[in-house]
Amino acid sequence: MSTTLNPCKHLSDYKLRYGVKGFSLIQKWVKSGPYGKTKTQMERSKSEIPRCSFCCGYEGRLYMCLICSSMSCSLSSESNHALLHTQTQIGHEIGVDLQRSELYCFSCADQVYDPDFDRAVMCEQILGLGNGNLDGIRSNGKRKRLGFEVGLNSDFKNLKRVGGGGGGGGGGEWDHGRRISKSCFPVGLRGLNNLGNTCFMNSVLQALLHAPPFRNYFLSGRHNRDSCRKTAADRLCLSCDIDIVFSAVFSGDRAPYSPAQFLYSWWRLSENLACYEQQDAHEFFMSVLDRIHEKEGKTRNTNKDNGDCHCVAHRAFSGLLRSDVTCTTCGFTSTTYDPCVDISLDFNTTVDHFAANKAQKSTETGVSTLTSCLDLFTRPEKLGSDQKLYCQNCQGRHESVKQMSIRRLPLVLCLHVKRFEHSLARKASRKIDRHLQFPFSLDMTPYVSSSIVRKRFGNRIFAFEGDESEISTNFEVFAVITHSGMLESGHYMTYLRLNEQWYKCDDAWITEVDDEVVRASQIYLAFYVQKPNGHKAGEDVGCHLRSSVSSDSFVSIAGCC
Amino acid sequence: METGRMRASIKRPPTPDAEDEDQDREPTLQEIINIKLIESGEKERLKELLRERLTECGWKDEMKSLCRSFTRKKGRNNVTVDDLVHLITPKGRAAVPDSVKAELLQRIRSFLQSAAL
Repeated sequence: MSTTLNPCKHLSDYKLRYGVKGFSLIQKWVKSGPYGKTKTQMERSKSEIPRCSFCCGYEGRLYMCLICSSMSCSLSSESNHALLHTQTQIGHEIGVDLQRSELYCFSCADQVYDPDFDRAVMCEQILGLGNGNLDGIRSNGKRKRLGFEVGLNSDFKNLKRVGGGGGGGGGGEWDHGRRISKSCFPVGLRGLNNLGNTCFMNSVLQALLHAPPFRNYFLSGRHNRDSCRKTAADRLCLSCDIDIVFSAVFSGDRAPYSPAQFLYSWWRLSENLACYEQQDAHEFFMSVLDRIHEKEGKTRNTNKDNGDCHCVAHRAFSGLLRSDVTCTTCGFTSTTYDPCVDISLDFNTTVDHFAANKAQKSTETGVSTLTSCLDLFTRPEKLGSDQKLYCQNCQGRHESVKQMSIRRLPLVLCLHVKRFEHSLARKASRKIDRHLQFPFSLDMTPYVSSSIVRKRFGNRIFAFEGDESEISTNFEVFAVITHSGMLESGHYMTYLRLNEQWYKCDDAWITEVDDEVVRASQIYLAFYVQKPNGHKAGEDVGCHLRSSVSSDSFVSIAGCC
Repeated sequence: METGRMRASIKRPPTPDAEDEDQDREPTLQEIINIKLIESGEKERLKELLRERLTECGWKDEMKSLCRSFTRKKGRNNVTVDDLVHLITPKGRAAVPDSVKAELLQRIRSFLQSAAL
């Protein structure tokens, strides 16, 4: 997201001559509304509404000149008193749109942007937040006067000018790879035998086998089984067993493979789950990542803000979540960061009238979408009165509002759809079978911290720590794990997307399927991989497998299969 | 602060000073209603309700994409806010769903009744 901030000549001149005096002056008239909106309203008796000094009209857009405070309106190109003002008062070129608290240049007849102005407005907004303007919450707290900098998160402290220059271009083109004829499966597709209710394991393995960072790591032999065995005291290393599975699956042999050794190792490492009973795929996924990390992670406590664990599990899946808790009494926001390897989403049962296909505006049956679940995840949530949190600023227990956002996106995004709801009345959990629509291409921009925090202030301009980062926000799906059946017993399957073709992986059976089949399935876990902006060579392991660095069991396979 | 007399405008007759205005003119019914709406804060509430409804039904997204495609065509630096306002005002007005119009009219009617106008 790029914000070109080059001020027009008139704004630069104004700032040179008047600095931020005018901004501070109107600051006290800024009133906050919901959804980050603000208006500028001078304290007048109720019967006086702002009127244009030329025509006394109060309709259309009203602008207040920052130099002489006179109001002028702009209704249409024929009736533009704002323009008239600047023509009659030479040098009066900058004003404020009263209804929106935005800067306006009379000469350019356009909105202009200035970080100092936005900062002035945002200060008032923050104060306004503590005054019952939070989505209509009424609070009787005293309005605490926060200093200019206090109350602003560390994000705002360095209010640098967001540099000009366009941001990422139109996003890199996804490497479509070569269209392989339907009769030939790509390398790396191999059925996995069910060893007794182990579909939960097979489905997750299929997804991991094709998670690009994971796949590349193991296929290039970065986990050295020989040196590993020498150092391991108890000879148990899940990564070694995963490496064996990779070798087997990418060997070119098409007969279904039994990951028995992997299962056995996993049992030994997760004793509490060792049995032939059905397990939850998400739980299994988390435990596999944990085991890999335990063995490979350099330090045990790498779960800190700056701690980047270099184990393959974290390098692939680790992201950072931001949680903002705002005290409704004083408006102070406390921010915490927590690492995550996946995002668990509550099922958003409110219907999305404008789902992916904008063609039909369905009014009857709406559709639940994955993006609406993400919206729900990042929506401000009023914590109940039984969950009053201690606010360090006003030092009391008050009701608060919590909002989640993603501070750092992982390379591989695993979205977990919580398809269960617990009914307190019936004291039982129930599975939500409802269909969830999901996109093949996902833009995570609206859910990252910079977007969420900006939105809180009506998209004001401020530099966000680590903004315009290298990480692309465009993701592409490569695997979905579906569940059919009931909570206690059901069946997992994985759909893999390789070279734009979907394959259904149902334990030992792999078949090509059409997009529609996948779209209609009931997803439980969805795996998205980051799509690089300026197209780095998408490492597609096509049919032509170059012999990898140190691995043994690969043969250059020319042509198909 | 002085407001000069506007004799330069071609289309409109010279506008008298703002100060004289208030004493001479009878406010129209429309103005009276509008002022009452503003004073009581009802106009603000109606605006908020309208914003919510238009967002829910996707009207806002529609307008956004109209603005985006226009901006893309003309180039980001060649578009002003006024251009966009003029572009989407007629389309926007036409695209408001009837249900939203009905709801707001109902609210205004009940307000008028309660304000005994």
